[in-house]
Amino acid sequence: MSTTENPAEDVALTPQPTPDTAADWVDDAETWSDDLFVDGADWEELPDAVEDDRMTINMGPQHPSTHGVLRLVLELEGEEVKQLEPVIGYLHTGIEKNAEFRTWVQGSTFFTRMDYLAPLHNELAYCLGVEKLLGVEAPERAQAVRLVLTEFNRIASHLVWLATGGMEVGAVSMMIYGFREREHILDLFESQSGLRMNHAYIRPGGLAQDVTHDFVERCEALLELLPEKMAEYEQLLLKNPIWNTRLRGVGIIDADTAIEHGVTGPVLRAAGVPQDLRKTDPYCNVEQYDFDVPTHTDADSWARFEVRLEEMRQSMRIIRQVLDDFPTGPVMVEDKTIAWPSQQALGPDGIGNDPAYIQHIMGESMEALINHFKLVTQGFTVPPGQVYSAVESPRGELGYAITSTGTNRPYRVHVREPSFVNLQAADVMSRGQSVSDVIVVVASLDPVMGGVDR
Amino acid sequence: MGLEEKLPSGVLLTNLEKLVNYSRSVSLWPATFGLACCAIEMMTSGGARYDMGRFGMEVFRASPRQADLMIVAGRVSNKMAPVLRRIYDQMSDPKWVLSMGVCATSGGMFNNYALVQGVDKIVPVDMYVPGCPPRPEMLIDGILKLHEKIQGQTFEEQGSGMPLPMYGGQGANDLSAMEV
Amino acid sequence: MASHDEITATFAEHVLGARTEEAFGELTVFVQPEQLLDALRCAKDELGCELLADVSGVHWPAGEQVVERQPSTTGWPEYRITRDEGAIEVLYVLRSLSQGHRVRIAVQTPDEEPVLPSSVAVYPQAAVFHEREVFDMFGVHFEGHPKLERILMPEDWVGHPHRKDYPLGGVEIPYKNDKHIPPPHERDLREVVGEGKGKA
Repeated sequence: MSTTENPAEDVALTPQPTPDTAADWVDDAETWSDDLFVDGADWEELPDAVEDDRMTINMGPQHPSTHGVLRLVLELEGEEVKQLEPVIGYLHTGIEKNAEFRTWVQGSTFFTRMDYLAPLHNELAYCLGVEKLLGVEAPERAQAVRLVLTEFNRIASHLVWLATGGMEVGAVSMMIYGFREREHILDLFESQSGLRMNHAYIRPGGLAQDVTHDFVERCEALLELLPEKMAEYEQLLLKNPIWNTRLRGVGIIDADTAIEHGVTGPVLRAAGVPQDLRKTDPYCNVEQYDFDVPTHTDADSWARFEVRLEEMRQSMRIIRQVLDDFPTGPVMVEDKTIAWPSQQALGPDGIGNDPAYIQHIMGESMEALINHFKLVTQGFTVPPGQVYSAVESPRGELGYAITSTGTNRPYRVHVREPSFVNLQAADVMSRGQSVSDVIVVVASLDPVMGGVDR
Repeated sequence: MGLEEKLPSGVLLTNLEKLVNYSRSVSLWPATFGLACCAIEMMTSGGARYDMGRFGMEVFRASPRQADLMIVAGRVSNKMAPVLRRIYDQMSDPKWVLSMGVCATSGGMFNNYALVQGVDKIVPVDMYVPGCPPRPEMLIDGILKLHEKIQGQTFEEQGSGMPLPMYGGQGANDLSAMEV
Repeated sequence: MASHDEITATFAEHVLGARTEEAFGELTVFVQPEQLLDALRCAKDELGCELLADVSGVHWPAGEQVVERQPSTTGWPEYRITRDEGAIEVLYVLRSLSQGHRVRIAVQTPDEEPVLPSSVAVYPQAAVFHEREVFDMFGVHFEGHPKLERILMPEDWVGHPHRKDYPLGGVEIPYKNDKHIPPPHERDLREVVGEGKGKA
């Protein structure tokens, strides 16, 4: 196997030659040919990049510890971080623009792919917005299923955070455990929506289909399994000296600074602010159930770890209460201009058509067939207006600013992504800390690049 | 290994190409190149339930220099495209590319300004895995199919800079005609 | 939590020419660009909205816009918007964590040369990324922004993708009407993406 080692191309996307002093870097940069550079490589233009003993280094976008394709431009003095600049957009997908060319129902399919660790929260926030414009409210059973699934999704997301965060600071076993338990939750999602991720299960007006007959048993089985496993994580991590030293006192951001940076979610709660949209702006009847908003006073990465663990417990508490009194009834609004005419349910053979309905539209009613066809191909119209609907995603306030002009497609949908906003705070959180702490800071913010770049 | 008993006098006759290809195929080291949703499924594949390690392909390498398989897991934006190509160039020969999921393969549902409509416009792809995202089983199956493909390749195909893309139903002869 | 009436009264008192409108249970305050910073300050200081939750843009192009989804078969109402002057509407969503209310401030600027004062003056940290995104996607120049650069698109990108006059892009779908689809080996897959653009 022949290797063509060329030091100028090593490590990252930007060339990193090794001249004697940092000041030589820029001089050399003048003489490099253009094709050595990659778009967005602006680090050498930073005014302070070459001052005496300051060094600018580039972390990412292909870096194992940056949660996907995040690029961080670090300005270092020795090992100390003086400034951190996140460079994002490497996963920009244009979902917002794409959704303008699709019907309202299809929007659900697009937005679920945005923050891929919390797909159901994205669907829910979008659908709540569309329902607000339509002036309808999903039936009780649909709301209960939505709440159960999004809370499970929160647990799954925090498990991935624990898994990848653990891996990034060297606790590789945590990675295996986190993904192991997440699989069980994904099994539940798959049994209901047919997909492990990117479900498109929550639709404007309700759900794509009713839950299976064993839904409650499946959830209860999960609720039995998870606390046991969480005790295992705590046993593994709480007194682990490496985990403690790497997290405690790292990435401190106090409440005022956090709010000033627009930070929401567990990061803000770890700074002592009990801000939770489920309390202040309740959705899906969540106000009926008893739960606490965990907060912490330390405001460091460790506090965020504890807050997230407690959040998983509170999610289970909510789910348990919903399951205790699980409502019956339809899962889609009655309005036949929004809901598909069929009362679809997933049969035991896994096929989602109701035979009686097929009989009706094929054999008896031409109008029903036409109505169904038009509703599926063209979708429904939504009254003109602008709304902002927000839910508490695992990372913070996930808001959908939807503009409708009264047609069958969104005129504009903008997503307020908590990962995107929280990333602004990475700079203040990592200043004065060492390079290795940057990894912890970014991990504790838990940005999902699909959400950041959209 | 138990192999010795089956070999007459401990001698194995084969040609070099087959032997080397066999070795290459069973020690594929993927580069960690997670982009989007598929990256989560790629991590799951290495996790406890699916355990790619059973097939000897869980050694994800952080440095492209040490890897010979690039799993493009997710949508490739126009901003990411040069970076991806650069990482591909940094990998040492012979190298293979697996395009995971429809976004990497063709842009998928995101047929818009932001995405590269198919990563095969930037790097030559050896194996396409459909799905959005593909299940871990599909990824493992895709890599196993790639193993088979590698075992049937010639040195020329592997070593002359870029491996060639393979299309369904075409033989090696057709492929050589596509050499750039 | 301040009621909508109280919020309306507060804005009427502190911001010149502010017009409030309630729709879908949400309160929107429409202001002129000159009064934008006043309105933001009023929300932050008088109403306690310490969190700038969201900044988003909407493009309303001039002239008549007709977009038909399926022109020949459906008889579906056409997508028709008529405006004399094109505008970029920028929406600020502000939230009070202590009191729990939320208010939206809407401001419009001509889409030919969109210029707005930067809300960094009021929300020094939170507005930075949001405004960079609106600049990237709509081309709105926020005066006084510390670093108004593209954030999501590559730096050498031309145009502002989320404006309505910017096409969706992508490639044509080959499986359409009677278009000839070349077999895979005849397709040119080796073309390096955007030869003039990316420095691959």
